[in-house]
Amino acid sequence: MSENGDSVIYVVKTTANQEKSVAIMLTQIARKDRLDIRSILAPDELKGYVLIEAPNVSTVEQAIQTVPHARSLVKGESSLDEIMHFLTPKPTVTGITEGAIIEITSGPFKGEKARVKRVDEGHEEITVELFDAVVPIPITIRGDTVRVLKKEEQA
Amino acid sequence: MAEMVCRECHRILKGQTCPICGTGNLSSDWSGMVIIIDPQKSEIAKKMGIESKDRYALKVR
Repeated sequence: MSENGDSVIYVVKTTANQEKSVAIMLTQIARKDRLDIRSILAPDELKGYVLIEAPNVSTVEQAIQTVPHARSLVKGESSLDEIMHFLTPKPTVTGITEGAIIEITSGPFKGEKARVKRVDEGHEEITVELFDAVVPIPITIRGDTVRVLKKEEQA
Repeated sequence: MAEMVCRECHRILKGQTCPICGTGNLSSDWSGMVIIIDPQKSEIAKKMGIESKDRYALKVR
């Protein structure tokens, strides 16, 4: 089995956007049937899959039998090291630097291009100034609603 | 009603206060979910320092 005791990570394919409901259903089945499933992970970054920590593949196969939206078990197994990055998600503003050119992807300013003036990692917000605005007004927006066009521009 | 997450222990809960922390510091803006079923045997629970079975959010804003 794995080097991390006897827990192995198995990957189950699900219908898109049903990851959380599959995880909840699997929990209920594991409790009802007393299956040795130790934890279930449904990261937002991994669309269409859930990760199941169990000692062997047969437990997972048995559990997903009756779960709607759980489509199939992905062949093979993962180790804990491979999924560690899902447990501590990076702030959404990672990679956005002051002076970068970004495009706003949602909200009332969708499609507008702007220059980053300030990055607030704690709140995951950035303050930008729109290019097309007549008067430069700083706007604070969420870090996940932008797309970086140009990393940093020397003024 | 939207599910809320305790900003302190990251538990996903319904209601206005966290039954474990007793705090009202909750957030509806969260993403990712981990369900701990067996905290004694789970390696993920150990890595995350979780000691009780429950549903937890991976990220809370």
